Amino acid sequence: MTAIQVTGLRKAHGGFEAVKGISFEVAPGEIFALLGRNGAGKTTTVEVLAGFQRPDGGAVRVLGLDPWTERAAVRQRTGVMLQEAGFFPDLTVARTVDTWRDFTAAPRPRAEALELAGLTEKAATKVRQLSGGEKRRLDLALATLGRPDVLFLDEPTTGMDPEARHATWDLVRDLARSGATVLLTTHYLEEAQRLAGSVAIMDHGEVVAAGGMAEILATRSGRVSFRLPSGLDPAELPLPVTLDGELAVCRADDPDLAAQTLLSWAAGRGLRLTGLEVRTATLEDLFLDRSTR
Amino acid sequence: MSLTATYKLGARLFWRDKGMLAGSVITPVALAVGMPVLMANVRADGATAAADIFYGTIALLLSITSFMNIAVALTMRRDQLLLKRLRSTRLTDAQILAGEVASTVTQTVGLLAGCLVAVHFLAGVPYPEHPLLFGLAAVAGSLTVAVLGVAYTAAIPRGELAAAMTVPVFLVCGVSAGAMGPMLELLPSWVGTVLGLLPTSAVVDAMRTGPDALLPLVVNLLVWGVVGLAAIKLWLRWEPRRS
Repeated sequence: MTAIQVTGLRKAHGGFEAVKGISFEVAPGEIFALLGRNGAGKTTTVEVLAGFQRPDGGAVRVLGLDPWTERAAVRQRTGVMLQEAGFFPDLTVARTVDTWRDFTAAPRPRAEALELAGLTEKAATKVRQLSGGEKRRLDLALATLGRPDVLFLDEPTTGMDPEARHATWDLVRDLARSGATVLLTTHYLEEAQRLAGSVAIMDHGEVVAAGGMAEILATRSGRVSFRLPSGLDPAELPLPVTLDGELAVCRADDPDLAAQTLLSWAAGRGLRLTGLEVRTATLEDLFLDRSTR
Repeated sequence: MSLTATYKLGARLFWRDKGMLAGSVITPVALAVGMPVLMANVRADGATAAADIFYGTIALLLSITSFMNIAVALTMRRDQLLLKRLRSTRLTDAQILAGEVASTVTQTVGLLAGCLVAVHFLAGVPYPEHPLLFGLAAVAGSLTVAVLGVAYTAAIPRGELAAAMTVPVFLVCGVSAGAMGPMLELLPSWVGTVLGLLPTSAVVDAMRTGPDALLPLVVNLLVWGVVGLAAIKLWLRWEPRRS
């Protein structure tokens, strides 16, 4: 059974169609990233999956259940970290966790929840005094309090400092290793590439690319770039290049072989290719390509 | 377990919100105790006049501490996306609202009991002749008014307007129950008839009259309760409007 199944999901707000018939599946224990620019429809998708919004069309299933009509059953087994949700500002961090423990079946002990989120030292601090990144960490502590089977993380590390971001990545990996399915949305391509086994790129409410991370990157060519020697006509090069300012950029399925070809060609003519950089395909290449079409 | 948890949260937040306490506790208590004490001291029929106005101020207490308090608190929590956060837990919508309502009813009935004792000692207002009926009317009335307060949040566009939009409600409730003097006598009789249908009027009437007013009270509160629940089902918003 798939943990999350989305089939032809449509959702409009007023006259604006935020999600236009998207489909994807997430396997149990997988970390799945939804990528896209602002307004691509990621948050709407997460909110439908978490049961906050009713789909206008298509079907969604979380652990085999309809999150809208069977919300109570879905909530027992899911954790949600929303992009936007308030806190009770006058409660301390510890009191907030304690309150949420009352709402959760078999919750983690308070100390464990605070330690996981790196908030042990902030236990006595009122929520209103936390920074934006600390609030996100508290949010994460609450979302993971009940050791959920499925975790929805909407922009989980926005506002966090690099240390907290890496700690959060470790936590998400640990949760997935222990069997939790994680669906996250993010602006940080590095985050998606480091964490996710599968990815879907959304643009204007549609999925424009989806699949396993390795498989999807394999569909993209790598890249070799170097400073074009002065006076050299790019057409003389043995491989086709495009110009990006001073840089000549060559796209190739096998960037190592392309670099060797270029270097051999240059050596034969007594030329040096300075600033040579060889890079396999990255998610950023794919994202920029697909979301700017 | 979850209902208890939301009840505890509601009670904790009620007493921590110092801004709201001024409006939802100090003001109604000052009116419910102060006016009977004033009447006891300035009127020849002191204790009778004090008792009469005290029962009128119960309508104010219900409409401020139950109705206004829950309407304002829920609207603010809706706008601050706190209700959304609560809905991200395993709590059901009904548990979230029931906890808030139960907490509000407890505060209201507790304040009412405190005021009753205070006016007994300070203004000579006798204890209710039918204490069971008095208690039942207080709890059921507060419950119904709190449910209506939850429903009323659907009409409040945003948090900053919540308190202002509840003011007409408690003014009308106060006038209809005689908490602001014999103002009804200055108005056409049909106004009194219409205002007599308010749940706060039925509660005060039952407390003043005794068992003869029990059936009308039950019918009145049942009708208003159904209206409130239907409005919640149809129109309650858990998040602020997107535009």
